[in-house]
Amino acid sequence: MAISRSTYGTRRLAIVLFACLLVALFLLPSQSQRLLQYVGGPLGQVLSLPLAAFSSLDHGLADMWNGYVALQGVHEENRQLHRDIELLKGQNNQLRESLTAVQRYEALLNFKQQLPSQTLAAQVIGRDATNWYRGMILNKGENDGVRTEMGVITPAGVVGRVVKTNSTSSVVLLVTDPNNAIAGVVQRTRDEGIVEGTSHGRARLKYIPLLSRVQAGDRVVTSGLTGTFPRGLAIGSLIQVEKSEGDLFQSAEIEPEVDLSKLDEVLIITAPFEDADAAQKLLQAIHGDRKKP
Amino acid sequence: MKFLLYLLLALVVVPLQTTLLHYGGLFGIRPDLGLVAACLVGFLGGELDGLILGLLLGCFQDMLSAGDLWINVVTKGGSGFLAGLAGRHMAHITPAVMTAGLAIISCLSSAVFLYSMNPAGLDEVWLGVRSTVLVQAGLDAAVGGGLFLLFRQRWSGDRMVTEGAL
Repeated sequence: MAISRSTYGTRRLAIVLFACLLVALFLLPSQSQRLLQYVGGPLGQVLSLPLAAFSSLDHGLADMWNGYVALQGVHEENRQLHRDIELLKGQNNQLRESLTAVQRYEALLNFKQQLPSQTLAAQVIGRDATNWYRGMILNKGENDGVRTEMGVITPAGVVGRVVKTNSTSSVVLLVTDPNNAIAGVVQRTRDEGIVEGTSHGRARLKYIPLLSRVQAGDRVVTSGLTGTFPRGLAIGSLIQVEKSEGDLFQSAEIEPEVDLSKLDEVLIITAPFEDADAAQKLLQAIHGDRKKP
Repeated sequence: MKFLLYLLLALVVVPLQTTLLHYGGLFGIRPDLGLVAACLVGFLGGELDGLILGLLLGCFQDMLSAGDLWINVVTKGGSGFLAGLAGRHMAHITPAVMTAGLAIISCLSSAVFLYSMNPAGLDEVWLGVRSTVLVQAGLDAAVGGGLFLLFRQRWSGDRMVTEGAL
């Protein structure tokens, strides 16, 4: 009986406290909020432990579901993505190659526009068929107006001269071949000589006058004395000057300006000195004037 | 028919030699596939086959080389013919014999090239031998020996009698 009376009293006390809390919440909202926060601080900390545990369990389950159970189509998707990546890599390489080709063509075009000579762009399609000549094969031939003895250049300098042609291709003997000879001049001292290839894959300026003061580092350019190249195209730089006692001339080894092992496009000089049409008109004008009384 | 086959072979070998083969060179020297093909056919098919294929290959190679127009015709034709003569006097052609024969013929062919270059002195001759002749002979022998090993089962070591078939 005493127990039931005590329970009744406790219930009544609890109801009164709850009613007071409600009244306090409605009548004094900010103070009651502060009080609740003060009381809820430690409770929140206690609650955070099981909350974290359940949360990690939930994440674990979700990961397990997403990582193992729900992965039925991922393998195929992965293969497809790999295929896509390979395809995109290929396309990327092609675009890079196209970009470098465009840059090369742009440089070649700019150089072509600056040249006073008439030139024809050509692609390198092969190397000499034997090991005994330093030559390369171009994709332009007699049908395009290419003839033997025409000079071949790049924006960097002299490449060589055409030695053979057929209807669709031509063979160029490089400046580094011992059978090649080009008239050159040392840019600083204006000493002339003949540039020939050597067995070591370089070139040599021969017949430099004994009293010449040429030195390593001097640049050699075409002299324009032969009909193949116009004046002033770079051939290379002197790397070693040789002067033997008793010789009538000096000679010097040249490092070619053009990297002949990495050529893709070149220009063939079809009319070396100036515009052929303009030259023709000039000649006609001169002859016409002479004919006049 | 065989002539057409050789023509086709020449049309494949020479462009291959001028375009893709520089990837497979050693010290800047490439094997001479034309010489190897002419010698292989000469060894196995007889001197006439070797001569005809060699002439075809030499003609095409001369068109795509900066050298004189006769030199490849003479050397490749001669190499094929010589290989045919050598093969005729051998009972069994083994890979070792093929390799040694190719090396010798390659050296002889290169000697003609070297002579045609008009070397200034013994130094240049020795330089040519050291840097080109010997390297090319080694490469030609290796490629020829390898190809012979590859095709030996098909040809079963017997010489093909083909002079009449041409």
